[in-house]
Amino acid sequence: MATAELAVDAHVRYFRHCLNMLPAETVSLDATRMTIAQLSLVGLAALGRLEESIPAKQREDMIEWIYAQQIPSGRAEYRGFRGGSLFGPHERCNYPAANCGNVAATYSALCALLLLGDDLARVDRAATIAGIGRLQQESGTFAPHPGTTERDPRFIYCACAVSAILDDWSGVDIDAATKYILSCCCYDGGISQIPFQESHGGLLYCCVASLALMGRLDSLPDRHRTLQWALFRQCGGYQGRINKTADVCYSFWVGASVELLGGRDLVDVSALVSFIQSCETDIGGLSKWPGYRPDPLHSALGIVGFSLCRPDALPRMSPELLLPKTVVERLLRLGFRRSHKLCADA
Amino acid sequence: MRVEGSEDVCEAAPLSQQEEWRDVTPIPQDDGKHPICPIAYTDDYREMMDYLRAVMAKEEISERALELTGRVIQANPGHYTVWVYRKRLVEELNADIAGELNWVSSISAMYPKNYQLWHHREALIVRLLDPKQATEGQSETELLRHPVIRRELQFLDNAINEDSKNFHAWSYRQWLVSTYNIWEQELIFVNTMINEDVRNNSAWNQRYFVILQGRNPAQVELDSELVSGEIVYTVENIKFAPNNESPWSYIIGLLLRHAPGKLYTDLLPKIQTLANNKDYSLAMTTTQFYWSALVDIYEQQARELPEQGKALLEKAQSICHNLAIEHDPMHGKYWEFRSTSLSV
Repeated sequence: MATAELAVDAHVRYFRHCLNMLPAETVSLDATRMTIAQLSLVGLAALGRLEESIPAKQREDMIEWIYAQQIPSGRAEYRGFRGGSLFGPHERCNYPAANCGNVAATYSALCALLLLGDDLARVDRAATIAGIGRLQQESGTFAPHPGTTERDPRFIYCACAVSAILDDWSGVDIDAATKYILSCCCYDGGISQIPFQESHGGLLYCCVASLALMGRLDSLPDRHRTLQWALFRQCGGYQGRINKTADVCYSFWVGASVELLGGRDLVDVSALVSFIQSCETDIGGLSKWPGYRPDPLHSALGIVGFSLCRPDALPRMSPELLLPKTVVERLLRLGFRRSHKLCADA
Repeated sequence: MRVEGSEDVCEAAPLSQQEEWRDVTPIPQDDGKHPICPIAYTDDYREMMDYLRAVMAKEEISERALELTGRVIQANPGHYTVWVYRKRLVEELNADIAGELNWVSSISAMYPKNYQLWHHREALIVRLLDPKQATEGQSETELLRHPVIRRELQFLDNAINEDSKNFHAWSYRQWLVSTYNIWEQELIFVNTMINEDVRNNSAWNQRYFVILQGRNPAQVELDSELVSGEIVYTVENIKFAPNNESPWSYIIGLLLRHAPGKLYTDLLPKIQTLANNKDYSLAMTTTQFYWSALVDIYEQQARELPEQGKALLEKAQSICHNLAIEHDPMHGKYWEFRSTSLSV
């Protein structure tokens, strides 16, 4: 097992620290604590140590905290989950833009709840799905929340993942979202954030995984070239863009894209594993490059990336949803139907 | 008082001791009994947030609220609803846009990779210079002399000098160029950037944007001479550093999309000449990008010239085999796969 290849105990300690207390210098994560929670939990799950690391009582407390971030009332576009409790409190804040959900936080919250074994019974499904529908733009892309001009495939992905998890696609115009994603395909085979932007491994993932969840992977104009672009990012570890340094988070972003594009057997696994190992830090957790400080995102994505390329060593992870396959299987039993590929895999 | 630099933040007295804030009852954070991923806030941040929650909860539109959002964003630029609130404050208070731009520039220097501040900047520029009026009333040359545009291009030069691959800065530059329809300077800028660092893929990507002038690739027919010029330019840069993926992927991508025939009628002889020239041959024939380009070229040629198809594909397959064992073993399994999937 992976204990010989990764410092599992140290990483478990690191993720537990993240869940229990983050240092003051991470204050810029304050509005995205939900995502940090999701990443810490998925990191533990990918190491196969989630259940034993979090006692039942703590699991219940965490579930309560997550549900406390669900916006309880108001117009649909402000609903869903918020990124943390720095907003609000709900009952004292009448300005909806000041205390509102965010499709990225909603995605993180649902994944975190599933990881903790929750059955999503308390999710306000109707409001969440209606809210997603209001955030989709005419061009097909998504805004993360009302009142911003920010919009791109990161939020298309979050909307697709939420729709897949809640098994309700009525909030997404699939044709429009697909068309927008295809408009982001670059000359080099990669995919970018907006048309004409430079190809980028993180956006590649958001787009490829969205297409997979929508059942539209076949609409890629030249899937083969996209796979080639993704595989060419491997230079030991994966780089995120042409001529950039390898960064451990792309072990997931690019690694999962490669898998979704059917290229899993074409990866140089031993080079990738060596790179991921070189990013492990003495205090547990992984840093983006060898020799730097760890953070929850690079730690979790590095370990999930490890699991994707070494499914024999760690619990198997779903490339579409950043969840263990066992959780996706449970989701299927909860009634998750739409994504044919997931059904076939599980 | 407008908070301009981080040093001011450190020196400011606690809000609870400021006369200006006496009428506000701060709202503490409700983080529940068992928070996940709690942050060990500094006292200063906690206090700012308590007051911010109070003014946001009642939708206060005031100068002091504007200042407070500035301090909070400086501490935590990822606070997405504060940006929405600040945008509204700037509009409703009719705040000085130039001052706001200065402020956002100072934040950009601290957090060059924060998404929200670039969007905030974009909204300010649109208010300063209406794109519709600007592009209808003035020529491109006139617009390039406009102080707003000049300032933005200067700001971008600095941002890109600071980090020549800053994704946000390049994206904002594309927005500026296409929104105000100012293309004159752009190819010169791209050439300068490529001259400075021939491996800067962001600059090569910007070249494609400029060559297409931001038009839908599926609906653009590029002038044949323009394409030939791009081949000459790119091959010159390949000559300079053959083992550089950027120009290779630029020219193969451009030709596959817009002039596939030129892959073998124009590009192929030029790179073969280079590979046969004793000054360049070693560097050319030891880089995987040269061989990888030949695979793409022969595959396309086989598609267009079916009578030679079989021979061309065999050539491509043999190159794939050499790539796998000699020139690019890291992608060896891919090259074996590519070899079997070559088709006309």
